[in-house]
Amino acid sequence: MDQNEVIIRVGGAAGDGVQSAGLIIGKVFSRNGLHVQTYNYYQSIIRGGQSWYQIRASHNRIRSQGDGLDILIALNKDALERHTNPNINEGGASPLDGIAVYDTALGDFKKYDNVKYCGLPLGEIAQKYSKNTLLKNTVAIGAVFGYLSIDFETLAGVIRDQFVGKGDIAEMNVKAAKEGYETFVSKYGKSNKTLKPENKRFYLISGGETAGMGAVRAGLKAYFGYPMTPASSIIHYLASHSKNFDVFVKITEDEISAINMAIGANYAGIRAMTGSSGGGFALMTEAVGMAAEMEVPLVIYEAQRAGPSTGLPTKTEQGDLFQVIGASQGDFPKAVFSPRNVEEVYYMAGEALNLAEKYQMPVFLMVDLYLAEHYETVEKFDLTPNIVRPKFATGDEKDYKRYEFTETGISLRALPGTPNLMHNEDSDEHDEKGDVVSDAVTDPEIRRKIMEKRMRKMETYMKELPPTPTYLLKDAEYVVIQWGSTQGAVEEAIDILRAKGIKIGAIEVNRPYPVNPDIKELVKGKKKVVFVENNYTGQLRRLISSEIGVTGELVTKYDGESFYPGALAAQIEERIRK
Amino acid sequence: MVTMNDFKGTVKADWCPGCGNYAQLTAIPMALAQLGIKPEQTVIVSGIGCSSNMPEYVRAYGFHGIHGRSLPVASAIKWANPELTVIAYGGDGDGYNEGTQHFYHSSRRNPDITYIVSDNQIFGLTTGQASPTSMLGMKTKTTPDGNIEPPINPLSMALSAGATFVAREFSGDVKHMVETIKKAISHKGFSIVDVFSPCVTYNKDNTFDFFRKRVYHLEDEKHDTSDLMAAFKKAAEWGDRIPIGILYESNDPTYESRDEVLNTPLIKKPIKQLKEQDLEEFL
Repeated sequence: MDQNEVIIRVGGAAGDGVQSAGLIIGKVFSRNGLHVQTYNYYQSIIRGGQSWYQIRASHNRIRSQGDGLDILIALNKDALERHTNPNINEGGASPLDGIAVYDTALGDFKKYDNVKYCGLPLGEIAQKYSKNTLLKNTVAIGAVFGYLSIDFETLAGVIRDQFVGKGDIAEMNVKAAKEGYETFVSKYGKSNKTLKPENKRFYLISGGETAGMGAVRAGLKAYFGYPMTPASSIIHYLASHSKNFDVFVKITEDEISAINMAIGANYAGIRAMTGSSGGGFALMTEAVGMAAEMEVPLVIYEAQRAGPSTGLPTKTEQGDLFQVIGASQGDFPKAVFSPRNVEEVYYMAGEALNLAEKYQMPVFLMVDLYLAEHYETVEKFDLTPNIVRPKFATGDEKDYKRYEFTETGISLRALPGTPNLMHNEDSDEHDEKGDVVSDAVTDPEIRRKIMEKRMRKMETYMKELPPTPTYLLKDAEYVVIQWGSTQGAVEEAIDILRAKGIKIGAIEVNRPYPVNPDIKELVKGKKKVVFVENNYTGQLRRLISSEIGVTGELVTKYDGESFYPGALAAQIEERIRK
Repeated sequence: MVTMNDFKGTVKADWCPGCGNYAQLTAIPMALAQLGIKPEQTVIVSGIGCSSNMPEYVRAYGFHGIHGRSLPVASAIKWANPELTVIAYGGDGDGYNEGTQHFYHSSRRNPDITYIVSDNQIFGLTTGQASPTSMLGMKTKTTPDGNIEPPINPLSMALSAGATFVAREFSGDVKHMVETIKKAISHKGFSIVDVFSPCVTYNKDNTFDFFRKRVYHLEDEKHDTSDLMAAFKKAAEWGDRIPIGILYESNDPTYESRDEVLNTPLIKKPIKQLKEQDLEEFL
């Protein structure tokens, strides 16, 4: 195991405080200037079950939750036995080959080799300070940082921030942590890890939060949604910051209302978004086509979870690509973004809002549960406003036509309230002026022309499509094609394979639709192409092969978990040796 | 000065001759003109159905959306730009079938918009199927042996949800309708005006004649519009005598006035400049 990094897992049941313990640990590393990646494994229950939170911290840039485990904090017996059992290879992680911290009050449990069991009277120590049983988590966290020789003051600071405004609770926790810290060191000593503070300023943040923040930076003024995991992290963030950001946040009666409100708000001239996961987005489908037909800008945040149907509500998947691309009847222009990491979500949220308004079409910001909910460190955010607003009609235009046939396909919008330019925006097919052509006189020629006008926006957009990003592709003999949040695991798998002498690189698709034809050029001369996707059928492969004829081998994962780099490297190697 | 003529569109209405909707096509522009509201300040939002074609025929900003969804669109337009007068308009199929949840929730939410429903108790555009307000026993293409589902009562539904302006009108009494629509538009909050608007082609039961014989004006009977229980009673009145006019009116605060962010119009808000301190919580 790398002495420059550490992987810690907190295991317990829902309600045990697993997640808040994990976040505290993550923040301590992040404040020490280390790179952090977290991973949250949980179920759709409020109490009980088996959940865990993994924190990986490193002096080097890390891009996934990593392989293996150095430290386990077991909050119950089940967690202690499960995460030390070499036969349970949960989520692809290798079995524990380090220390397990647990409460000695847990009694007898099954022991395995290669594990150093470090029991402490966690509950007993905690009781000195409070009757709250969750305080024993704090004792365990203290123990871990004692073991890692991380200065106690950072932990004390994080705890104080966590319990700010809660009176004595903060200091009680600090004292309990301190006792855990000291007791562990005197009893078990220190680790030989070399994790020293670095002079770097890191933000520990999730994709749902960066989506909200990136949208605000691009002038978001309203967000409409309905609760659904994992699309809730953005709405929670925006709702709790609504006054500071001056953004109107509305939870609606259903997703249909949410999308129709977002369309109404955009029609009136402000930037508004809606969002959901696959099931809720299914309800929005009809209105997606309306926005396209009426040429009203619209950004939809689609946070995928494992389907079909209710599926695995708290598990990740990339299974909605065809649902999103195929949403709503008829052909119409649209763009789909799949940001690859938490930082990219921030920039793409703004890009989506600009693009939707420029082209007056639906733009999808597709993430998945992993990207929306896991925390990673980001070093820097560009905070300068990122707003490119098109011109609007002023009222002085002569012979104004809302849907004027232009070369680019983009026509000038007159917002309601503009003098002299009253017109209709219609979900029925219409002519340049906006008058309906679907009822009394259906006019095939006008229909052809207005379809071509709308679809011309796609041609215009294709001309400004940025190149598809790549990773170590130049000298690569083999190439992986991935999309969205699998970037981190794929890049680390490639690093593992390169260390073995295999020349391999990646094409990283962050704008899956329209398909960028440059992918065809990028794969030229490569010995083998391997698609890596968090779904069953290889949806991106199906899309790319049907649009530009590029296909290849396929590695999938559809167990609700994201990829682990070690296991993924082995699978990729198996495909290229086939 | 604004006149009715200012609202005259270039597209001629293509409803059946004698259709009840023509009365609203007169009454809505007349009410707007009398209130001095300009066409450019007016947005008419509709869904799908015969009556939902209304925005096509009025010179104003028109949003002709999808079936059942006029209310969320209309609410958000108003929230984005409160200087606009926003009227949602559609039929009973549109509003009381697919749009039921929006109708109910708009009634409790109280956005400052006006909802006018052309209630002809039948599906017209799809050529005559039973609607949510079709009477029991009514024979239609989908109920050849007579309708066996009791009709929805949209007014008692709105009242139970907490609507702050509930009224009913009849296409055979345009003068009365204009006065009620003026009050509905002027009302601060959600106003619903359900208009008996006979379908001369597919509804042979609830005709102009049917209503002419039955309707009476609420104000003639000293109805107290602030009395919720009295409003429920009037909403349930059906048979030989059917009341039209304002059933209920209250001054409960609008949604907008309850939401701090909406206190300034969204469209006038400056762009939020993110600052270093917005990131501090993630340190």
